[in-house]
Amino acid sequence: MRRRLLTNLAPYIISGLILFVLPLVLPSYVQSMFAKFLIFGIFAMSLGLLYGFVGLYSLGHAAFFGAGGYTTGILACHYGIENLWVATPIVVLVTLLISAIFGFIALRASGVYFLLLTLALGQLIFTVAWKWVTMTGGDNGLSGIPRPELGFPWPAWDPAYYYYFVLVFFLACFFLLRQIVNSSFGYTLRGIRLNENRMRHLGYPVWGYKYIAFIIAGLFAGISGMLFAYFNGIVVPSHAGITTSVLVFLMVVIGGPGTLFGPVIGAGVIVFLQFFISLYTPEHWPLVLGCVFVAAVMYARGGLSTWLLELQKRMKRRYGNIES
Amino acid sequence: METLKVENLSKTFGGLKVLEGLCFTMEAGECVAIIGPNGAGKTTLLNLLSGELQATGGRIYLFGQEVSRMSVHHRVRLGLGHSFQLNSLFSGFTVLENVLLALKSPQSHYFQMLRPMTTYDLLFAKAEELLKSLSLWEEEKVLVENLSYGKQRQLEIALGLALEPRLLLLDEPSAGLSSVESAELANMLYKLTENTSIVFCAHDMELVSRLAHRVIVLYYGRIIAEGGPREIQNNPKVKEIYLGVEKM
Repeated sequence: MRRRLLTNLAPYIISGLILFVLPLVLPSYVQSMFAKFLIFGIFAMSLGLLYGFVGLYSLGHAAFFGAGGYTTGILACHYGIENLWVATPIVVLVTLLISAIFGFIALRASGVYFLLLTLALGQLIFTVAWKWVTMTGGDNGLSGIPRPELGFPWPAWDPAYYYYFVLVFFLACFFLLRQIVNSSFGYTLRGIRLNENRMRHLGYPVWGYKYIAFIIAGLFAGISGMLFAYFNGIVVPSHAGITTSVLVFLMVVIGGPGTLFGPVIGAGVIVFLQFFISLYTPEHWPLVLGCVFVAAVMYARGGLSTWLLELQKRMKRRYGNIES
Repeated sequence: METLKVENLSKTFGGLKVLEGLCFTMEAGECVAIIGPNGAGKTTLLNLLSGELQATGGRIYLFGQEVSRMSVHHRVRLGLGHSFQLNSLFSGFTVLENVLLALKSPQSHYFQMLRPMTTYDLLFAKAEELLKSLSLWEEEKVLVENLSYGKQRQLEIALGLALEPRLLLLDEPSAGLSSVESAELANMLYKLTENTSIVFCAHDMELVSRLAHRVIVLYYGRIIAEGGPREIQNNPKVKEIYLGVEKM
């Protein structure tokens, strides 16, 4: 009985140890990587909602990430708004507006045309960030973004504390998204992914569901963009561009779409791999990334999360048999 | 009140006229069979009625309301159910999950995002009732792709029934079923006709004569005969082009 309980609790215990305890004992530069991992974890989960639960392949998702980052930067650097409780609702509103407009346009098409439209719309934000020099700093980016004011005492903004600040956001986003995908709404999204036409014949306004999912995904991407701007202290056009969109897409594919933790694992793999590869051979990072992607597609079609789920199932079966 | 009224309905695909000038009505509680040889336009007609395809000309009225340009899901909201010729189920979902999706559709918790799906006890109870009535309850946890074809066919119809439609469109409901399964299906649909109007197209003349109050015969996109099952079976023109005539 105790072993079975342990098997069930194992994923939570391991996640808890990795997220809460491990960063405490690691050097500060690794703590920073953990913060980056969680930020990209939120970003990847937001795309995972679209890709894994609705079946929409977007190549412009970084637009919302960039929009969140630039809004944070512009508020802090041009208007002196550093308070988190003021900045967050504004970031949410801006990304909500942009994703509502982009979704309205992109969802007129489907399949590969949707992919191309999201790519084009994403590049629109990239171009605005690049060309609107007075507001965004153009090619040089917008630098000097300070860490947020929380309105209550916060010990310090060293990597460890920033990590725990991001962890709060990550957990909030994770549980909110978990509620969404396990709700009646999330169940409908999965139905749309599996058989969109049948859903219409069951009376579901499919377009409306996809549109709302697109906006929600944009919103969470915007929040991760805000956290990344605070983390880096700078936002540059590439944060909103195709390279970032492709990177997050790879995170979802490698981690495995269709679950929430899959994209988070994918984010972890990419962020830490990038970190370690860059230590030894930074110029070859894209080559390694390409190889990882090819290997993931060839040998782990459903993503790493499928392996983990399979492992958990096997363990449950094994210990279940011992008990019975 | 008329359940369905079709006025001068036509459909062309490029230069090909698939349906031309169809006119018919049906009353509440009526069961109408559409028959005709392959390529007569039966499935196209059902697709026009469901909204899957848009008509090239003519009008469709559903429960007194014009729906010619109305989207599929709006027609479903009016009380239209559709069951497909080729099973259109949710592969990757279990039997229970398939039915839950169908049952959930007309409910008020349309955009509920925070309440877990597992807490809708009433929905689960309804699903159990429906699956038991169709002898599918034992397979509730089976993935649909692992079901036999006959069971998949039953589930396909169950999805249509779950909406509690006022008018149900069935495309070849007995296609691919054994004679026993087909007879069971006929019994089930017969009970259904007490409360629901049905339009179905079929090649199975036993099913047609068992269920249909009226039969419409299509031939190259036109209605060539209309009447009771027996009347149609004795119609010489129908015999010639559809049922076949004995050659001396």
